[in-house]
Amino acid sequence: MIEVEHLKKTYGTTTGITDVSFSVARGEILGFLGPNGAGKTTTMRILTGYLPADQGEARIDGLEVHEDPMGVRQRIGYLPETPPLYPDMTVADFLLFVAQIKGVSRSEQQQKVAVALERCGLGAKRQVLIRKLSKGFRQRVGIAQAIVHEPPVMILDEPTVGLDPRQIIEVRELIRGLAGDHTIILCSHILPEVSMTCDRVAIIHQGQVVATNTPAGLLSQLEGGVQFNLEVAGDPGLVRQVLTGLEGVQTTTLDHLPSGLITVHLHATAATVGPHAVAALVQAGIAIHEVSRTQATLEDVFLRLTTTEGSPTP
Amino acid sequence: MPKILVIYRRELHFYFASPWSYTIAGAFWLLAGFFFVSMLLGPQGVIAQALLRDRLAGDGVPPLDVAYQFLQLFLSLLGTLALFVLPMLSMGLYTGERQRGTLELLATSPVATWAVALGKLLAVLTFFTFMITPLLGWEVIALSTASPPFNLGWLILGHLGLLLLAGAVLSLGMFISSLTESTILAGVLTFGLTLSLWLVDLLTQGWEGTGGDFLQHLSLVKSYNTFVQGILDVSSLGVLLSYIFLGVFLTSQSVESLRRS
Repeated sequence: MIEVEHLKKTYGTTTGITDVSFSVARGEILGFLGPNGAGKTTTMRILTGYLPADQGEARIDGLEVHEDPMGVRQRIGYLPETPPLYPDMTVADFLLFVAQIKGVSRSEQQQKVAVALERCGLGAKRQVLIRKLSKGFRQRVGIAQAIVHEPPVMILDEPTVGLDPRQIIEVRELIRGLAGDHTIILCSHILPEVSMTCDRVAIIHQGQVVATNTPAGLLSQLEGGVQFNLEVAGDPGLVRQVLTGLEGVQTTTLDHLPSGLITVHLHATAATVGPHAVAALVQAGIAIHEVSRTQATLEDVFLRLTTTEGSPTP
Repeated sequence: MPKILVIYRRELHFYFASPWSYTIAGAFWLLAGFFFVSMLLGPQGVIAQALLRDRLAGDGVPPLDVAYQFLQLFLSLLGTLALFVLPMLSMGLYTGERQRGTLELLATSPVATWAVALGKLLAVLTFFTFMITPLLGWEVIALSTASPPFNLGWLILGHLGLLLLAGAVLSLGMFISSLTESTILAGVLTFGLTLSLWLVDLLTQGWEGTGGDFLQHLSLVKSYNTFVQGILDVSSLGVLLSYIFLGVFLTSQSVESLRRS
């Protein structure tokens, strides 16, 4: 549905993005994650046809954004970082205006506005002036204007910024409810938001996409899944021999503690490896003093990807 | 519905729903009304002067066409008033869109930049038409009793000129408004530009040659005055229409280039 290939954009002397490629399948929610200033908004602006890219291609529903800007604009619903609202209009009038400039046919306008109001929980506010709405409701109107013409593709730039926790949950639920019918790109610098709402995550750092995967896939891909820390007493050589022979064990590192015990850091592909390892060690006559499991969070992945200088992970 | 009409209706709603535009209209009506009465009926007014002239000159001179003279004076005054009022109407046309972030909505919608500009211009021009409509009523009432009978063609031509003048100033004002995010700055710059275009024939009166000639033709007041005098002059029409076209063109260029930066 959305294909982005090697986009590049420079502002004067500063580089906005250097190489951004990803794709989103129909009905999927892609989380576009990155620290502030990484190039998220620039990428989204290129996709919506607001900014021209210096190099690369972006296709929405098969249409190249530079070749057919009007066609692309018709297929996109866009919520910029600050929701674009006319404070002097009522919610319903504003949505009708958006439906009209997006080219919804006259016979369908009222019905589509009603649907958007309904989906975003704005039914009670339809005749209220936008300037009288709270921030949470304004954000909903912002989302409503992005979906009113029922575009196949929606691009939401930081949709929960500045909302209180309850509103954040509501907006996330709203976005989840939109998936399936719509293909969605959700830009965010908030990790839990992305891991909770999105099917897949693309991490952008310094103008480059450094990883794309499912939230779970990203964890296992980068952290090697699960890590166990063990404190054991026994022959280090034997410990190493027992553990490396097990299925699912990736790496083992051993440290000698002053107390004479050995700490083992065990990287495994899955959590089920833990009990097997313990059983094998016990069978080999090694005394186990402590076992703990640490699972990497998306925060770890994110920090690792965005703080270490390194080549992009495949 | 054509997209221009959608933009037009939204902008019109903005002007008719905003207390600010009624404040401008109210001040305009107050000033115009004051001058209307004093020019017509005041001690220095056209009627008093015509009477004075008749008394001094006796029966020998042809009677003065009071209606024509009054209309000329009043329309010239409206032109000057418009110079102050129009920048206030046009200054928020694009600065507001930029401040609210709605320019991004318009720019990512399937509607051409020039169509947005034209829709906006037509809306603000409609509001100005609404502002001068009552004055037209006053004029028709006052002049309906004139003797010799009043020529309606002058009246229409004069007001057409006023609308074209307004269109030119608003169009240029719209362009300036698209250059900055500050509404006040846009207003001040528009006023400065309009004033220079208003007075350019006075400033360049001494100049000889084609350069001086050319600058003389740029004058807004000169073009407007031919309409006020009841003359349909093609070059004046051309000058005012060119300003309108130029304003719309420059606006869409400037909005397009906003995206490139």
